[in-house]
Amino acid sequence: MQIAEHMLRTGRRGTLHEFSMALADLRASTHKAGLAWSLAWHDVVSRYRGSILGPFWITLSMALMVLGIGFIYSKLFHIALDEFMPWVAIGIVFWGMISLTIIEGCDTFVAAKGMLSQTSLPMFTFIWRTAFRNLINLAHHTVIIVGVLIWYGYWRKANVPLAVVGLALTLANVIWISFAVALASARFRDIPQIVGSIMQFAIFLTPVFWLPGHGILAKHAVLVFNPFFHMLDVIRSPLMGRMPSGLSYAVLATMAVVGWTATFSVFAVIRRRIVHYL
Amino acid sequence: MKPPPVSITITDLTMRFPVYGVDAKSLKKHLARVAVGGQLGAHHGATDVTAIQGLNLKLKAGDRLGLIGHNGSGKTTLLRALSGAYEPDEGTIEVNGRIAPLLDLSLGIDPSATGLENIRLRGRIAGLSAKEIEAKMDQIGAFTGLGPFLAMPLKTYSAGMQARLAFAVATAVDADVLLMDEWIAVGDAQFQKIAHARLLSLVERAGILVLASHDLDLIRLYCNKVMRMDAGVASPMVDVKKMDQLLAAA
Repeated sequence: MQIAEHMLRTGRRGTLHEFSMALADLRASTHKAGLAWSLAWHDVVSRYRGSILGPFWITLSMALMVLGIGFIYSKLFHIALDEFMPWVAIGIVFWGMISLTIIEGCDTFVAAKGMLSQTSLPMFTFIWRTAFRNLINLAHHTVIIVGVLIWYGYWRKANVPLAVVGLALTLANVIWISFAVALASARFRDIPQIVGSIMQFAIFLTPVFWLPGHGILAKHAVLVFNPFFHMLDVIRSPLMGRMPSGLSYAVLATMAVVGWTATFSVFAVIRRRIVHYL
Repeated sequence: MKPPPVSITITDLTMRFPVYGVDAKSLKKHLARVAVGGQLGAHHGATDVTAIQGLNLKLKAGDRLGLIGHNGSGKTTLLRALSGAYEPDEGTIEVNGRIAPLLDLSLGIDPSATGLENIRLRGRIAGLSAKEIEAKMDQIGAFTGLGPFLAMPLKTYSAGMQARLAFAVATAVDADVLLMDEWIAVGDAQFQKIAHARLLSLVERAGILVLASHDLDLIRLYCNKVMRMDAGVASPMVDVKKMDQLLAAA
């Protein structure tokens, strides 16, 4: 087995060179996608080692939360259960994925300190690791959604392909946010606390378990300027047989482009310093 | 196309560490002239430690370089730069060949996972594919001598058993360039003997070895070249037989 590998590392050679090195890191990480997957899988397995249900424990507690909130709120606010239960179920499951990917993003580089400081593994590998780990967990929790959609008969009108497109668009945004907080948390150790607080606050501002008025897209600033609302909208509406608003797609697509450009630029500039932050 | 021969070329390498959250200014005057540590200095308002300054090095297949020097003289930094983890601030590092850094045996080891899982995980981190690991699994397992314990979680192992496993995986990679921070001595007398043989064969197989150590006898034993680091500045690389002159020159 003779693999000739070549490594060339240089001092700063201008911004353009820094960007091409950052791109090389990204490319290397896609070649090593299997490694990111192995690490993510190992994370999930080791977190639930010795438990019988594994990640399904979280699924179970989510399911209880969905049932509790679904039954109580639908009574409290006089909303039809078959309208509200799927709303809450999809909301809680996908909110869990969105918020945890962002919160765990804080730990992406910090937890990888050992590997980053003595190997040449691409930094993006660890971004994918966090994302993959949360996708594996999400896959467990979709049981809840499938159950609720079948129980309340939405499976007939659910537009799954469109929801998958929505999920992809959501991930495109969630991953850059996770990436951005990973970079920030490596340098400033206050960031994880701040991110935790923001996400806790955001769950109340986002229609995860409340309905935004009669017109689903009430044009309130809390919704229009809330990226999480749009993320949930492009996933939830198709699953409930409705069309998401065009605004949601526009906001998410713009955010993805702007967010990735900004985050990647910051990464390119500080890339060689990150390992020293840790 | 024939792959280029194994080589390491370093030109004008300078490595600086930014130190964050520490105001070293008041310490600077006191530390500037001591032999331990790199050179402290302030650049752009942040405190920098210059770990390596203006280092040039050329190694080809068959070279086994011993790095000596005080604590903090830049030996480990040089190894980490060679592993690709640290980016140079100035100069270039070029390495042809597969690099195996054996800087820290505990890298990627998860105490709650079983021995077998740890072998897989560590192998993946070292750059082996899942297939390559399965192919090597029996060999690695046999080398650890842990037998049925491989199916047990690592936390049930004694320290020596953990070291055996870590060592077996870390040395299972076919590398062209071997980087070591201190010679790894693990396990009981019997295991040390096979570990020693394993490392020797690895050194033979690897085109290049770079070993940082304070143990001069060790360097005489394994290396054919030696270089002395002093506060980030490297001496010229000399034949290991001339190590005494190198030490006397300081």
